[in-house]
Amino acid sequence: MLNNILKKAALAATCVGLLVGFNTAYAGGHGGKVDITKMTPEQLAEHLIFNSGGFKLEQKVQEGGVSRQRLEQDDLQKACSVTGGGAVDANTSVKVMNMARNDIKYPKGGIKLGDWKIGRELAWSGYGYRVGHRTDNHSTTKYGPGGNCYNCHQMATDRTGGNIGPVLTNYGKLRGSSDAILKYTYEVIYNPHAYFPCTNMPRIGAQNVLTEEQISHVMAYLFDPESPVNK
Amino acid sequence: MTKPILYALPILMAAGVAHATNYEDMAPEEILEALIDKTGSNYLNQSPQNRQMMPDNPALWLVDEGEELFYEARGPKNASLEGCDFGKGPGVLEGAYVEMPRYFADVDKVMDLEARLVHCMTTLQGFKKSDAPVKKRHGSGSDFMKLQTFISAQSNGKKWNPPLDHPQEKAMRDAGEVMFYRRAGPMDFSCQTCHGDTGKRIRASVLPNINEPEEWTKAISWPAERAGQLNVRSTQHRLRGCLWQMRHPQIIAGSDASTALISYWTDAARGQPAILPDLKR
Ligand code: HEC
Ligand code: HEC
Repeated sequence: MLNNILKKAALAATCVGLLVGFNTAYAGGHGGKVDITKMTPEQLAEHLIFNSGGFKLEQKVQEGGVSRQRLEQDDLQKACSVTGGGAVDANTSVKVMNMARNDIKYPKGGIKLGDWKIGRELAWSGYGYRVGHRTDNHSTTKYGPGGNCYNCHQMATDRTGGNIGPVLTNYGKLRGSSDAILKYTYEVIYNPHAYFPCTNMPRIGAQNVLTEEQISHVMAYLFDPESPVNK
Repeated sequence: MTKPILYALPILMAAGVAHATNYEDMAPEEILEALIDKTGSNYLNQSPQNRQMMPDNPALWLVDEGEELFYEARGPKNASLEGCDFGKGPGVLEGAYVEMPRYFADVDKVMDLEARLVHCMTTLQGFKKSDAPVKKRHGSGSDFMKLQTFISAQSNGKKWNPPLDHPQEKAMRDAGEVMFYRRAGPMDFSCQTCHGDTGKRIRASVLPNINEPEEWTKAISWPAERAGQLNVRSTQHRLRGCLWQMRHPQIIAGSDASTALISYWTDAARGQPAILPDLKR
């Protein structure tokens, strides 16, 4: 309790220190001014993002609420942001893997494969969640927001995919479809940080990019022997 | 003892001259060819058709039109932009753009070209921010793009060299670096996700790596004609586009947040020749 009060007091003090008494050209949060040379790079970045009118933060977003949320980092995003690039340390990796593992929710009736034809469209679509201008309207598309998988993966060979992620061609053919491989694949799609801490792959399930049902279709696209991925 | 060294000197110097390519005398497409020869980069090399088009780059028209606008007396104050200081003195444009963003004492802040141009058009020429010449920022038909394309072309072949001597310049560059690697949004993207490795592609588009200055100089050489959009586009327009792909909120052009990111991305191309105007996908 006391600890909390002290923390809050300390926070308020930094805020005052940063905001009052400087006569500079940089806008502060509460109509004041800030001296940007007195901040750490992290403090200045947060200031520029949230308090300086740099972004349109009050636009409605598809998940509900306003665009400001999109720039507020959760614990995993914070842990995985390494200024200057490079890998995170071993402790952070373990922390992130545990965080991710605890986050995974499984479908009630077990992991099932849906319709590969729908999965093909979802894997291909790079549509969904875009804001600011030409905002995506999820209710006017047939399958909702897309999975963006082809942005990063080559999947079937009839369409061109990116290479930020590994090639997934013949995924089911090469790996079979045992319960273990289905579970692994579901988990990677839901929250890949459980296996690849701080990976570049989005948390497709955990971040609600795709619903459980949509994931089942994308998985069918990966595993179904009839899917072009395995032809 | 000293003699052999003396004899060796001219040879070393000759080798040095052969190595130091003089980009300043080259056309944009020649600079690009030289960088491709040097690196073999897939990003630089990705569109031979675009490279062939560069001598007839539609952006070259904007350079001419921008020049006329620059020297024309305009706005409520009936002034040309010759009084505008882009960092090297009023009206001095040669090499000014490759040394931006920079600190400007008259406003006590760091500005990129977009912010500086708005500043001069509003203060020197007396335009209001809501007046079309200032308000309309995008498209080859806009005054703003014509002026930017002209001003930046005066830095073709010059090496990026944004100053970091002023504490504000350093602060903005460092905050921009934090922002570049800061993951957020429904896809957990940071700029690094797509621009931190060599030879990566989003679908068919080869992405520039910020850690490869020879790739990064082309990446940040804006304004450029975007062949896919049939329009000349600015630095700020590119930044906005990437944030849109990231599902992050729209950035305000000329804002301090945008200046910070641009300070960092310009520093990352330091020492490499600018390709202006460029032609991109
Ligand atoms: C932003 C890029 C990106 C997107 C979008 C993306 N992935 Fe990935 N994916 C990766 C990366 C990178 C890896 C490799 C993990 C690592 O080493 O970091 C990966 C790994 C995988 C793996 C594990 C591969 C293996 O060999 O075990 C699967 C399966 C997978 N992705 C499926 C998908 C699906 C399905 C989608 C779309 C719903 C998708 N990915 C979207 C980047 C991406
Ligand atoms: C999801 C992937 C992705 C992310 C994240 C991303 N970009 Fe990009 N960026 C692209 C693509 C795709 C292009 C176009 C490249 C092409 O056409 O070859 C591009 C182009 C660029 C270019 C110009 C290069 C060119 O040839 O057009 C710059 C500079 C750039 N991005 C900077 C950034 C910055 C700064 C950020 C973070 C605010 C960022 N990008 C985030 C995908 C991304």
